[in-house]
Amino acid sequence: MSVTYPELEALKLERRGPVGWLINNRPDKLNAMTGAMREEFAVAWKALDADPEVRVIVHTGEGRAFQTGVDVEEIASDGVGMERYRESMENFDIHFTAWHQGVAKPVITAVNGLCAGGAFHWVADADIVIAASDAQFFDPHVSVGQVVSIEAIGLIRKMPFEAVMRMALVGRFERMSAQRAYELGMISQIVDPPEKLRDVAQELAETIARNSPAAMAATKRALWGAQEAGLTDACKAGAKELVSMWGHPDQEEGPRSFAEKREPRWVDPVAPTD
Amino acid sequence: MSLRTDYETLVVERRGPVGWLIFNRPDRRNAMDATMLDELEQAWTELDDDPDVRVIVNTGNGPAFQTGLDVVQLAKNKEALREQSRRTKRAELMFTPWHLDVITPVICAVNGVCAGGGLHFVADADIVIASSSARFTDPHVSVGQVSAFETIALARRAEFEPIMRMALLGRSETITPERAYQLGIVSQVVDPPDGLRDAAQALAETIARNSPTAMAVSKRALWRALEMGLTDACRTGARDLAGVWGHPDQEEGPLAFAERRDPVWKALDRERVGPRYRSTDDEGERA
Repeated sequence: MSVTYPELEALKLERRGPVGWLINNRPDKLNAMTGAMREEFAVAWKALDADPEVRVIVHTGEGRAFQTGVDVEEIASDGVGMERYRESMENFDIHFTAWHQGVAKPVITAVNGLCAGGAFHWVADADIVIAASDAQFFDPHVSVGQVVSIEAIGLIRKMPFEAVMRMALVGRFERMSAQRAYELGMISQIVDPPEKLRDVAQELAETIARNSPAAMAATKRALWGAQEAGLTDACKAGAKELVSMWGHPDQEEGPRSFAEKREPRWVDPVAPTD
Repeated sequence: MSLRTDYETLVVERRGPVGWLIFNRPDRRNAMDATMLDELEQAWTELDDDPDVRVIVNTGNGPAFQTGLDVVQLAKNKEALREQSRRTKRAELMFTPWHLDVITPVICAVNGVCAGGGLHFVADADIVIASSSARFTDPHVSVGQVSAFETIALARRAEFEPIMRMALLGRSETITPERAYQLGIVSQVVDPPDGLRDAAQALAETIARNSPTAMAVSKRALWRALEMGLTDACRTGARDLAGVWGHPDQEEGPLAFAERRDPVWKALDRERVGPRYRSTDDEGERA
């Protein structure tokens, strides 16, 4: 079965083997996000998550930037400004990351080049983050009178608070290297030379795709769910996810294929029902 | 605005846009006696209320940064610290920027030994830098005391295991500035050590170029996020974000950038920033 992806302008959707690719595609604008691109993200995540052939999703950018936040040209030029987003923001009704969209499949963010400001949404909300050796991270919000909030709130759960706060308060006057991001655990792998980023991401995604989709989805729910609660409550909720897999065919297939020294045949991922 | 000059245990001064709060009991390794505890509350508040102070730097005079409660005073004159014991019991301490809801960005510049209660100031700062002669240690359990507030906050800022190890090993364990940098407890190590204050002033002046309002709201959003689950924190943070849309700095920033000049920011209006960031008890008040 092959799924046709929706036609998008600011994003590219592709499948290579078991890997679904979501590629920011406004390279001449450093992949800055317009209102239209924001809406395309909502559609794109759902499309990849629903494709039964996709086991793992990789998100990256075309050109010399991964992403650089909101398109300020659009904000500055059309007289509406950020007000267009007021209602959705006040209600936290936003849909441009995998986490916002409840994506069940593993998501790898592969940071090529610049990652600035709002781009941290996709670092904070991915399961795994890798970066090209020439990637640079900074958050210019406060240098242009804007507040740093949601993306940094996500980041402080995944890496040391101080580094995130420093980036937030220093603004555009300092950049973090891929090396420092690696030391701090913001990313787990540096790809050098940078041109190899997509190959390495594909390979990592294919490796992950060898694992049980159902077990990974439940693991992902347990770990992200744990971000919502204190430790004991998180473990209680995690126990439910654990038990939910008992009796699932993958739980027998895994050990059996291991004993038989062959690749396991997993049950296909179930498309989310919401 | 001119700052008070009559502190006994602190030096409080302003250099350009940077307010300095300096522990000044070098012969006692800057340990906190009852007077210092009172003066800290006054000094943080004074600096935070001064519109000319855009960023605060906290450091110590002498070879030590801060070594916690003055145990000599505790042993000789328990009465003097009775008020602090009462506050400790109720978790109502009032001597760090976090205790006092300081909204100005705070840089902690660790100049030497930072021991026990001194870790409060590392745990409760926004940014922490250290000289290469800094040392972090938590001797509480080696002298029969419990380590709690400081290490709880540190364990949220960095990896848990090194903090638990430091708490359990007591005086036998020391974290070097290099290790603190690896762990993300500090973001900069200054070598040679006597360059620390210049480095802190330079960093503070850089930060002072950013919008005071945007920084205050960002700071508040990130600290408040430590009180909540992820989704609730993002929901609250989203309201903080939209709450400043329409503020003049939001237009001035991009405009100044386009015109290649330094932006002219509005003075911080505390009403705009919202209530305290320490707890979520005031949620109703905000809505």
